[in-house]
Amino acid sequence: MIPFGFILADLRRLWLGAVAIVLLIALATALGIAVQLQERALRLGSARAADRFDLVVGAAGSETQLVLSSVFLQAAPLPLMDGSELRALAEDPRVAYAAPVGFGDSFEGLPIVGTIAAFALEAGGGALAEGQVFDALDEAVVGALVPLRLSGIVKPMHGLPGEGGHTHSEIEYHVVGRMAPTGTPWDRAILVPIEAVWRLHGMGGDHVWPRRAEGEAEHSHGIAAASDHLGSPWPQATPGVPAVIVKARTIADAYRLRAQYRKPPTLAVFPAEVLVRLYGTLGDARLLLGGIALGAQGLVIVAVMLVSAVHLAQRRGQIAALRALGAPRRAIFTLVWSEVMALVGVGAMLGLVLGFLAARAVAAQLTRQSGIVLPVEFAADDLAFVAMMLAVAALAALVPAVMAYRQPATLGLSA
Amino acid sequence: MPDLSLEAVRVSFPGLAAPALEIPALRVAAGTRLAVTGPSGAGKTTLINLMVGLTRPDSGRIGWGETDLTRLGEGRRDRFRATHVGLVMQNFHLFPGLSALENVLLPARFWSLRLDPALKARALALLERVGVRRPRQKVETLSRGEMQRVAVARAVLMSPEVLVADEPTASLDAEAGDAVAGLLCELAQEQSATLIVVTHDARLVARMARHLTLVDGRIVADVPVVRAHGAAEAVE
Repeated sequence: MIPFGFILADLRRLWLGAVAIVLLIALATALGIAVQLQERALRLGSARAADRFDLVVGAAGSETQLVLSSVFLQAAPLPLMDGSELRALAEDPRVAYAAPVGFGDSFEGLPIVGTIAAFALEAGGGALAEGQVFDALDEAVVGALVPLRLSGIVKPMHGLPGEGGHTHSEIEYHVVGRMAPTGTPWDRAILVPIEAVWRLHGMGGDHVWPRRAEGEAEHSHGIAAASDHLGSPWPQATPGVPAVIVKARTIADAYRLRAQYRKPPTLAVFPAEVLVRLYGTLGDARLLLGGIALGAQGLVIVAVMLVSAVHLAQRRGQIAALRALGAPRRAIFTLVWSEVMALVGVGAMLGLVLGFLAARAVAAQLTRQSGIVLPVEFAADDLAFVAMMLAVAALAALVPAVMAYRQPATLGLSA
Repeated sequence: MPDLSLEAVRVSFPGLAAPALEIPALRVAAGTRLAVTGPSGAGKTTLINLMVGLTRPDSGRIGWGETDLTRLGEGRRDRFRATHVGLVMQNFHLFPGLSALENVLLPARFWSLRLDPALKARALALLERVGVRRPRQKVETLSRGEMQRVAVARAVLMSPEVLVADEPTASLDAEAGDAVAGLLCELAQEQSATLIVVTHDARLVARMARHLTLVDGRIVADVPVVRAHGAAEAVE
């Protein structure tokens, strides 16, 4: 019943207020949507990052820190677990592999992680993108995002990323392989043999560090005190490690292993369960942010009602004229209501786009910082959010519409 | 083509002792050209508000033939106005942003989703008739005289039986006012519509057939218009 062209002409005439309403709605929607998208992205991204980590075993301490350090490579000193536990795990028939992860060094802000060759394959999704896994103490496999070419040189700096420290002059690693991208912090890690990390920090054997540059053996086999190979089986005097990532042969084995290693002096966790707990905390934060977003929307609704009431006051003459020309009251009602809703609709769409872009920008920033790829994607929840927003706005728009509907029609049309 | 009859109509506004309008009886035969004059506050606008069903009196009957406007609800009166009444207002009340043509068609659009092509053709013909050369031009770019002529075309679009004009020439210069006054009379006659004009414009009054004078809400004079030669010929 309402000529579309009339609504357009009307909104063009009142463009300043129209733009204000659209922007208000867009910002409020964007805020809510961004919070929602970001929270979901964090959840999905961290869950995916933890996917490859069945069971993490470390020394007794904080479960959360164990997971953050081993799965997400968040720099923090972990207590060391005795090396005998690593050996026991490696030789346990229920274990497919037990990969130690040792931290302590970094290269240009990227963490250097000591582990075993099998895990370098596993962490990168089962196969390398190029090159081969390390097979010597001074070889390294880099994550997909590490800005080094094959045969590049890594000079380890003592200390976790972000900490100051001295450069280890005793060793340079040579990049021999690159992992496929995983969308996890491991994309930014440099993987080296755990034995090299031990040796660099004076743990384990006491042999002289072999250097290729001095023309020694091509491969540095046989340098560890009781071992002539890298990785398992581990020697009697295996040094301590901060964490061991364990892949069990069956799910039942995984649960049995967790039960066995849960008691001090060790700690065993499924990263997923720790994440669920973290999401709980995250959920509280989300609730708070969601509350703020909702409050913002409340304010917007009030603003919409205010702006449309002001518009209405300016338009009494116009409305009276329409009535005098025979426009039915329901047409006036529909006119005012659909004008407000048109603005709200445009604002909500704009807000969806803005919120998406904002979430993407924040996610990209977090990815740069952490290496965790955060998938920002829409879900049914977001539609529900926008639908609710539109529903509330539809109710709010009733106020000016009813005011217009009830406005008495007379010809006092001097204005 | 119904006659208009008012019986014992009385309107008072809160806070005022004397009624704003009190008309014991008034009959206007169909097709009459009626001028309503009187000083400000005499009740002229109140009277036409009643006649077109925009407001209801406190008491009395306002009949168009068998239809008693005082007994119709607001929606029915809207409908009555849309189908039987054409309105021309002092300040035109055209809607900026729309073309002359769209303005003429606007009231019709409020009542039907799809526009009858015949109605559009009629709107174009009417615009040509009133001398608006570019019907697609945005209405705010027209001269004031043209604007009022667009408003006249809008008022007669639905072939109303009653044309009501509230000071149609007051905001126009003499020449444009004359053109509008002439058009109102011609179109009313062509459509055999009753024409009711509230005005201060003596030249417009001269084109009417009957002259009602209101003072303080009462009819103080109701006389046939004695026509000057020129004016009479302009109407014929």
